[in-house]
Amino acid sequence: MSPLLLRSSRRFLTGHPGQIVLSVVGVALGVAVVVSIDLAIQSSRVAFRVSTETIAGRSTHQVLGGPGGIPDGVLTKIRLDAGYRLAAPVVEGYVSAPSLPGRPLRVLGIDPFSELPFRPYLAGGRAGVDVSTLLTVQGTALLAAETAREASVAAGDTLRVQVSGRDRAALVAGLLDAEDELSRRGIQNLLVMDISQAQALLGQRGRLSRIDLRVPGGEPGDEILERIARVLPAGTRPVETGTRSETLQDMIGAFDLNLTALSLLALIFGMFLIYNTMTFSVVQRRTLIGSLRALGVTRREVLRLVMGEALGLGVVGTAVGLMVGVALGRGLVGLVTRTINDLYFVVSVEGLSLPPEAFLKGSLLGVVATLLAALPAAREATSAPARATLTRSVVEDRARRAVPRAAALGAGLQVLGGGLLALPSRSLPLSFAALFCIILGMALLAPLATVVLVRIAGPVMSRVAGIVGTMAARGVVTALSRTAPAIAALVVAVSVTVGLGVMISSFRQTLSLWLDATLQADVYVSPPELISNRAEGRLEPTLVERFARQPGVAGVSTYRGTVFEADYGVTRLVALDLYPRGEAAFDFKEGRREEAFRRFRSGEEVLVSEPFAYRHDLGVGSTVRLPSDGGEREFPVAGVFYDYGSDRGVIMMSRTTYDRHWSDPAVTSVGLFLEQGGQSEAVIAGVRRSAEGIQDVVVRSNRALREASLEVFERTFAITAVLRLLAFIVAFIGVLSALMALQLERARELGVLRANGMTPGQVWHLVASQTGLMGLAAGMLAVPAGVALAVVMIFVVNKRSFGWTLRLEVSPEILVQALALAVAGALLAGLVPAWRMSRTPPALALREE
Amino acid sequence: MRHTVEEQPPAPDSGNPPRPLIRLEGLSKVYWEGGREHVVLGDLNAEIHEGEFVALLGPSGSGKSTLLNLISGIDAPSGGRVVIDGLSLTELSERERTLFRRRHIGFVFQFFNLIPTLTVEENLLLPIELKRRLSKEDHRRASELLDAVGLCDRAQTYPDRLSGGEQQRVAVARAIAHDPRLILADEPTGNLDERTGLQVFDLLERLVRSAGKTLLVVTHSRVLAARADRILTIHDGRLEAAQHPIAS
Repeated sequence: MSPLLLRSSRRFLTGHPGQIVLSVVGVALGVAVVVSIDLAIQSSRVAFRVSTETIAGRSTHQVLGGPGGIPDGVLTKIRLDAGYRLAAPVVEGYVSAPSLPGRPLRVLGIDPFSELPFRPYLAGGRAGVDVSTLLTVQGTALLAAETAREASVAAGDTLRVQVSGRDRAALVAGLLDAEDELSRRGIQNLLVMDISQAQALLGQRGRLSRIDLRVPGGEPGDEILERIARVLPAGTRPVETGTRSETLQDMIGAFDLNLTALSLLALIFGMFLIYNTMTFSVVQRRTLIGSLRALGVTRREVLRLVMGEALGLGVVGTAVGLMVGVALGRGLVGLVTRTINDLYFVVSVEGLSLPPEAFLKGSLLGVVATLLAALPAAREATSAPARATLTRSVVEDRARRAVPRAAALGAGLQVLGGGLLALPSRSLPLSFAALFCIILGMALLAPLATVVLVRIAGPVMSRVAGIVGTMAARGVVTALSRTAPAIAALVVAVSVTVGLGVMISSFRQTLSLWLDATLQADVYVSPPELISNRAEGRLEPTLVERFARQPGVAGVSTYRGTVFEADYGVTRLVALDLYPRGEAAFDFKEGRREEAFRRFRSGEEVLVSEPFAYRHDLGVGSTVRLPSDGGEREFPVAGVFYDYGSDRGVIMMSRTTYDRHWSDPAVTSVGLFLEQGGQSEAVIAGVRRSAEGIQDVVVRSNRALREASLEVFERTFAITAVLRLLAFIVAFIGVLSALMALQLERARELGVLRANGMTPGQVWHLVASQTGLMGLAAGMLAVPAGVALAVVMIFVVNKRSFGWTLRLEVSPEILVQALALAVAGALLAGLVPAWRMSRTPPALALREE
Repeated sequence: MRHTVEEQPPAPDSGNPPRPLIRLEGLSKVYWEGGREHVVLGDLNAEIHEGEFVALLGPSGSGKSTLLNLISGIDAPSGGRVVIDGLSLTELSERERTLFRRRHIGFVFQFFNLIPTLTVEENLLLPIELKRRLSKEDHRRASELLDAVGLCDRAQTYPDRLSGGEQQRVAVARAIAHDPRLILADEPTGNLDERTGLQVFDLLERLVRSAGKTLLVVTHSRVLAARADRILTIHDGRLEAAQHPIAS
């Protein structure tokens, strides 16, 4: 490449700083959104993995049980009957500490004598504390030094904690010091106790959460595992530690993918921005490029020149994007973590992880996206014959000729997208590929739709605004190379906004209706929960009876929620003692209500929620296998009910059946049904009084619980709303730049009009009419496109991600907003050029060419 | 014999009668407009000799610029051939024609078409650099040419700071900077006032003749055309009998 050509290119770019800034902003914003989401997700995953791995230590396998955990005696069986000593018991649970608001502490109950081969950092020496203190002094615990500092406690102090609403105290016997950064993050929020004390604290006397094993690889290991399996009681099984961690992380797979797909949208909008800027820069230089071609610069050299410029912009934009991404990631990680905590598992993310892969991925995406977006402009610059490049009309001719081809391609992409959706697959990436095909198809159909709309609007505008109206309408079509990408970008941005808006409102409406039906009891009582949708705490058994005896209470439904790992991965089982009025809470997707409840009550049959049935291909008549205290048991499915509480799904079992198979008398929460005319306020007050001094409980009226549930919903969609906003901002900047470029490019034409007597006001009118018309066209196309996107997201993407059936709820408000947004956005984009043009003396504008 | 575009065509043999540098054989160019055929050039035959100065006269829209585009290889004919020094441009690929142009043809446009992002000196150096790496000698040659066109003090100036006449003088210097065998000028004075146009034309003629180059000038001016060795007239896409300019 000729150095002089490079110099020429560099001078052109530095001579147009505004364009460079827009391009860089486009790439940077796109990359920043993708990287920030990636970092936020990775950080949650890393935090989860580090804490899981720290706690798993060097264990190779873990023996897991069912809902009630594992009886104490299993450890003795492994050690004595199977003759294997490298086994360590573990009790785990979560407590909250008032001095560490919003940060659940993970209780780790261990046997200090078994710990050395598993978690050497806890087994004396390295921890810098005498672990034997844990054994000899009642109520003692070890805490990470950093966490202790944050909780303002020191060794010897008492840390107040709450377990399922009950106040407890732990004496901090020593502080854990980390040797490296990874361990530091691993032991954060960890409260280490002797196993028996942890059992007492968490109310799990005689039960272990799991038993860690360390077995060698290969045949000797297999032989040991077989030996252990032989002595394990029914309902318990050894699983590989790594597999277990993966299973837990798989829970957020669909959530991650949805966020990533949304973040990619921002990158696509960024690509529109690059496309616009690069096309504009080529259009601006058409004379220059024509001259170069006439002087003997080959097409390939021109291509390399334009692509080289794009590469430079891409690299700078990506670098800026990575930096902004880290800053944005710090903001988003809180939102992502909160949603994961609300929906999946407890994870506390202290800081943003910065894995090099995330930066590499972001860099590649940024640079490749920039080059792809610049390719049409580069081809535009090179494909025309040398002299033809000199004329603007050739560019427009080509653009007009490309309209039917683009439309055909767009229609083809839509068909392809539809075809992909119709495939009998549950693949989420495939669904997103289909969704992107449809969105891209819409963008490609936008120019044709614009031409048609302008043909219809043209005569109307002529009649209303005379020659200015005619010029405004015609200008949209005569400068199609510039207007089409801008309109396409606006259509995509607004339709995505509409699509996401409709999806969120449909979700909200479905949830609201479901809550109306589900919350049948009048008053709900539960211990304070650490995870919003995963009630697992325990109510004091005496309290349940007290609540039931409250004046005005007609009946009680009790609810026992447990989470354990079974063949289905992380499984949620709920044991229900249902007051008859509570049956109305269930709306069945499969199975008849009366029949399903008859079989549910008579025992041995379960109800499963829609997501659970969808994930595991279950229906009425199929069976679920669960690890009961008496061994693996099969339970037939009596019905599939709608449930929006968990995307992992839930199995409902009658309390009688549960008690028959598991020795777990705990109750997690109760629903109180009032007598006819009963006052919930009075009952709530009575319940609070009866729990005083025994356990801190959350007592909520039907309405309050409904509101709290919707609040959680709003929280979980906060990240989606933020991404929707970010994507729209990127798209809006793209549209703004395209429209501004278009109007600024017309400086000379407007100068001629001014010279011929057009007033600044008329220029303003002309520019505003044109951009307004483009906004209107984009809005009118975006509304149906957005609804179509919503349909796909609701009925396909959501179904495949979470297994929920949602009602489509298209509120006219969202559609009107979208139209207004498109027109207002476009008008706003026309403001600067209109203002500039109306103030530029005609002579100057004429000289500017 | 066909030589490649990379090679310098053989120098003319002074012992023999001048052989044609450019040969147009049944050249035609047709455009399709709205499904109808529009013949811009039809069955053109002509020869232009090495070192000859030929003026191409004709009314607007007669096909003069199209012919120039065909001769330079910028455009491809619909029929016939353009043969330059035995090399048929018609048979070359677009890339080969571009490389041929960068080596053997210099251009002067009506609207100057200097590269606005390069200085005056760099504009002169660009055609040379497209052929090969620049040497000190090339910089010296650029200075000499700028001196010859009276702009040696404006070497580091950008084109937009120059008047129209000055810009066209730079364009003339650029056209011969890389030592092409053929210079094509498309209405080089069309955008200049009469006096300035005359000065530029003088310069072009002087430089081209002194360097022994072949010059084909498209012009509307019979006065300027009269200074050519030969005039070709084009009318409705057809070349009319070549005439010697003495008559004007």
